[in-house]
Amino acid sequence: MKVRPPRLPLRPPSFGDPPPGPFRKEFWRSPLRGPWLTSFLGSALLPLIVICAVTGFLSHLAYFPDLGMNRVGTPGSIHIFLFPFSWPTSPSWLYAFTQGLHVIAGVAAIPILLAKLWSAMPKLFEWPPVRSIAHSIDRLSLALLVGGSLFVFFTGILNIQLFYPWKFSFVPAHYYGAFIFLAALGLHLVTKVPVALRAFRERGVIAPLREDLAHTKPEPHREDSTAPLSPAAPTLSRRGLLATVGAGSIGLAVIALGQSVGGPLRRLAILAPRGETSSGPNGFQINKTAAAVGIDPKQTESSWRLVLHGSRRVELSRDELLAMPLSTQSLPIACVEGWSTTQSWTGVPLRDLARLAGSEGAQARVESLQEGGSFRQATLASTQVSDPSSLLALRVNGTDLSLDHGFPARVIAPAVPGVHCTKWVASITFESA
Amino acid sequence: MSRFRSRYGDQPLHLIAVVITFAIAGYALTRIVASPEPISFALYFAGAIVAHDLVAFPLYSALHRLAGHAGSRVRLGRATINYVRVPAILSAFGFVVWFPLILRLDTQRYLADTGNEPPSYLGRWLALTAALFLVSGIAYTIRLRRGRPRGPAKGPPGPRSPRSGAAGPVEPEGPRASEPDAR
Repeated sequence: MKVRPPRLPLRPPSFGDPPPGPFRKEFWRSPLRGPWLTSFLGSALLPLIVICAVTGFLSHLAYFPDLGMNRVGTPGSIHIFLFPFSWPTSPSWLYAFTQGLHVIAGVAAIPILLAKLWSAMPKLFEWPPVRSIAHSIDRLSLALLVGGSLFVFFTGILNIQLFYPWKFSFVPAHYYGAFIFLAALGLHLVTKVPVALRAFRERGVIAPLREDLAHTKPEPHREDSTAPLSPAAPTLSRRGLLATVGAGSIGLAVIALGQSVGGPLRRLAILAPRGETSSGPNGFQINKTAAAVGIDPKQTESSWRLVLHGSRRVELSRDELLAMPLSTQSLPIACVEGWSTTQSWTGVPLRDLARLAGSEGAQARVESLQEGGSFRQATLASTQVSDPSSLLALRVNGTDLSLDHGFPARVIAPAVPGVHCTKWVASITFESA
Repeated sequence: MSRFRSRYGDQPLHLIAVVITFAIAGYALTRIVASPEPISFALYFAGAIVAHDLVAFPLYSALHRLAGHAGSRVRLGRATINYVRVPAILSAFGFVVWFPLILRLDTQRYLADTGNEPPSYLGRWLALTAALFLVSGIAYTIRLRRGRPRGPAKGPPGPRSPRSGAAGPVEPEGPRASEPDAR
């Protein structure tokens, strides 16, 4: 390689010998660290991140952020660049599937992410800390990558456990945090895919998995690699480490899967918040209780009227609704938190209510008795309103809805995110799309 | 080209990727700055790095080193530590993901949202941990019955004979490995 004299203003600052501690190469002793291990972990992590990203943006699409006040602090039409289609209403379990996948993949990614961070940790203490312009930009982008990944994954896992220690609003923070994370990941891939390919070329993609402990040798140390300069004797094979991480990943995925699939599998969700089912027809999982959102039971008594706004204004009591032709549909509540539960709902098809208000083919802004909160109202797309299985449900599993499940009436519609299935409905405003 | 490389430190493709990356991240940043609580966002974003790189990593490394020292005092094979390390790591993964429920960090919200008192997630996690150590202890015992654990058998040369040597002093450790976390 030709060496040119560096121009003055761009000469990297010179740093002396590394200070003692982690800045010295001798500090890092694990014989397992090295480009192959990091590359292998990265290759396992990447598909999970892709699943999380795709299902995450699909969830954004499923919220129809362009309609009404649906966007919850996130931008409206940006999804058009990502997916040139509108969120469908069929199959009815679509959102339960994509969002379950989002949470399962996100939870399963945690052990791999932590292992990968462990394997690359010497890079944080590189010496000299700055070698060139490109190198310093890389390091800055790594702060975005590490911070972004931890931020996005951990805000996600705290959100699914109903724990919000922060002041920011979860939805936009998780969404924009993902932008930062994915952008930094793009640059990381540009710089690291060649490194990974080289590691796989030199050592084989899976060949190191065949080495038992006796045959586990450190990867050769090079300048600029995480392979140790002075490795300790191995106490665990690479495949042993990867099997541990993989077992952790699968174990966590199973726990998350239990509350997503439901049925007998729900018992597997031993550490997840929606692993419990109470008895009775209304015993299935509740997203938010009436008490939590300040519903006064008096508002739901016989004085309650559903108000329809469309070409004409219509008021209906619950008895009048029950006297209309009713439909029974088996549909899931599919929560953005990744859990779902399928029940048998009976109610008036939304499109019949639209017809009654003289607004067939319109979209619908559904408002709740609930006074505050992001989801006291939601706008359903015209395709969601006109789907024959979309209901204003009055009964579930053959009995009246309980107060916590939205008595006197709630929306339930196919492939619609749970929070858009408004409970304690007060009014529906049909608007032309 | 090589002049660009020597001044910049990488190839032009890298610079193009940098521009795209920081354009997207910059866009997200402008939206966060415009949101109601940008400081809280920044604190948690930076806090995540500090919490992992400068707190969690040194902490678990130190714990691991301690366990290693303790293990090296008892004259066991070098791979024996895995019968403690592996279940401990798996248990830790469970804790890292589900700690808000395990530690009951917001039971009021749990009750208000789900309508149920939270079950004892701590108890479940401890039971899971105990089960992991139990399985590990059983695996260790099986290894001992069949012969020496594989690690030491192929490990650094030692004076002990392959079969009889390890079985004597090592065997009592098997069941003990399952105890510490059963509480």
